[in-house]
Amino acid sequence: MRNVNIARVLVLFITTLVMMNAAAATCNVIIITDPTGQDPNGAAAGSMSFDSNMFESTFMNSPQDKFAILSGGADTSGASTVVNDTPRLQMIVQCINALKSGATTESAASIANSFSGQRLVIGGPTIGAAIAGTSGNWLIEVANDGTITITPTTGEIGVLPPGTKGAVLHLLHTPGNPQPDNTTAVGLAASEMIGEQIRDGYPATQILANTFKMVASQSGEQYGGGGINLDSGISTEDTFTPSQLNQTGFPMDQPFEKVDNISGWGITYPDADSYTTSPIDNNPLTVVYAYQALEHYITVEPTNASVTTYGTDDPGIIDTTQSVVESSVSKNGFDATLIASDINKAISSGLLIGVNPVEPDDIHILTYTKQVGIYYTPLPNGRTAPAWNLPISSSILDTIGNLQTAIGLIMVVLVLFRSTLISSFSRRRKKL
Amino acid sequence: MFIKVRRDTLIILILAFILILSGRFMTYTAYASSPGINEGVPISGVIIEGNDIEPTDVIKANVANEGFREGSYIDGDTLVTSKTRLPLNEAITNAEQAATLSAYPGTTMYPITAASITVDNQTGIVTVNVIEDWSSVVVK
Repeated sequence: MRNVNIARVLVLFITTLVMMNAAAATCNVIIITDPTGQDPNGAAAGSMSFDSNMFESTFMNSPQDKFAILSGGADTSGASTVVNDTPRLQMIVQCINALKSGATTESAASIANSFSGQRLVIGGPTIGAAIAGTSGNWLIEVANDGTITITPTTGEIGVLPPGTKGAVLHLLHTPGNPQPDNTTAVGLAASEMIGEQIRDGYPATQILANTFKMVASQSGEQYGGGGINLDSGISTEDTFTPSQLNQTGFPMDQPFEKVDNISGWGITYPDADSYTTSPIDNNPLTVVYAYQALEHYITVEPTNASVTTYGTDDPGIIDTTQSVVESSVSKNGFDATLIASDINKAISSGLLIGVNPVEPDDIHILTYTKQVGIYYTPLPNGRTAPAWNLPISSSILDTIGNLQTAIGLIMVVLVLFRSTLISSFSRRRKKL
Repeated sequence: MFIKVRRDTLIILILAFILILSGRFMTYTAYASSPGINEGVPISGVIIEGNDIEPTDVIKANVANEGFREGSYIDGDTLVTSKTRLPLNEAITNAEQAATLSAYPGTTMYPITAASITVDNQTGIVTVNVIEDWSSVVVK
């Protein structure tokens, strides 16, 4: 009896100890494959963890100044579920201000040293990258002659100077993760893979996806988080992040959706479980894993234009416009006039409804990042198609139309009472 | 035949039918070819400018909560939403305040320090200009 009690107390004590140690351990990585900033996929960053609360604040992104700030999830100190996020957020705010006022990555990363147990991973395509705080940090440098240098930088700030190809990686085992702590081995293996793929000329977004796959499946630090394309300012935003406080995000090594490669139709899990073929054309569906979805999401491809629409929030407009623009771009390239004519064709055929035809100057194209912005003018009164252009005024047509209807109705009435009317007429005539 | 209909009656009935049909069609044509604005300008879209790190979706959602969303329309100086009608000036002030209360997702950081909103009375496009300033962010 007494032994059981002691065992219970011991278990409780151990559990509390484990919870107390719950630092925000995670996987952060920044990869720079083109330090000149010319390749639209030349720099990428991403965060994931076994821990919960990997919200968007763990992979912040400034599209204007082109830098990323990565950090861990929230600390849940003690056995309580109260999130102690304050030191990390204070550190992030200081870091943003430093970078916005033009500080180097090294001095901005050094802010982490004034917060105990915190870590900063920052970088951008042209400003280089830096990593500071806690342990499990790796610095990967790839020289122009292909020499790969991997340095574990625990205890000091790891700096990837501007103009150098390379990456910074942080990987630490989260307490509570059922997998044995193999993060040092996985961190080294991932660093080697990153170094080799940078040397072999892979784009940064693809290397990021490969790193996510490797780290998630081998170390179990797998929940999103998300990724950023630093050159083009594209983020996965809340695609893989948790939907509620104290929950984990989407596991990055698991199937995320099923896609029909021919029609482009897709469905995400868990709904995808009940589909084996596409309901549109019965083609077999391909399973897309979360790391593949992340790569597709943030990679800018020659035909993969990212489309933004303005002027209307109607459902369906953005998706349809995206597919129309993609097919137009793959046929004719980034030409505003041809995109406009393709969109107008879609409007007149009823594929796009509720908007007026567009003109070439309503279309803004950034060829470098493959971004297309389309400014629509919506139709009034919830109309679905633009007004017809007829030579006759609409008010005249309206009057004639109503008149005709009225005459038609009168004729029906007359015919119905035909015999009565005729007989009453003839009777009156007889009387006269 | 159960009902005896004379041939000329039938012809007149068919004529009347064609008249009504073409009359209705012409009224529809008139509707389709008229630009017709009679119940105000609908809010057609919200454009957010000036934000950098703060995601656009958060600001958009906050502005939408103050009435500048799909389905609302401007009738003169009044904004009519699915819930209420209120003066446009008041709606703009409310929405500007709401925009400054946009937190970074998952945190209590409020980096938007000021917002100004312009509403185009002709097209119904709402433009929200925000100022994002991280140096004034206080983490509690």
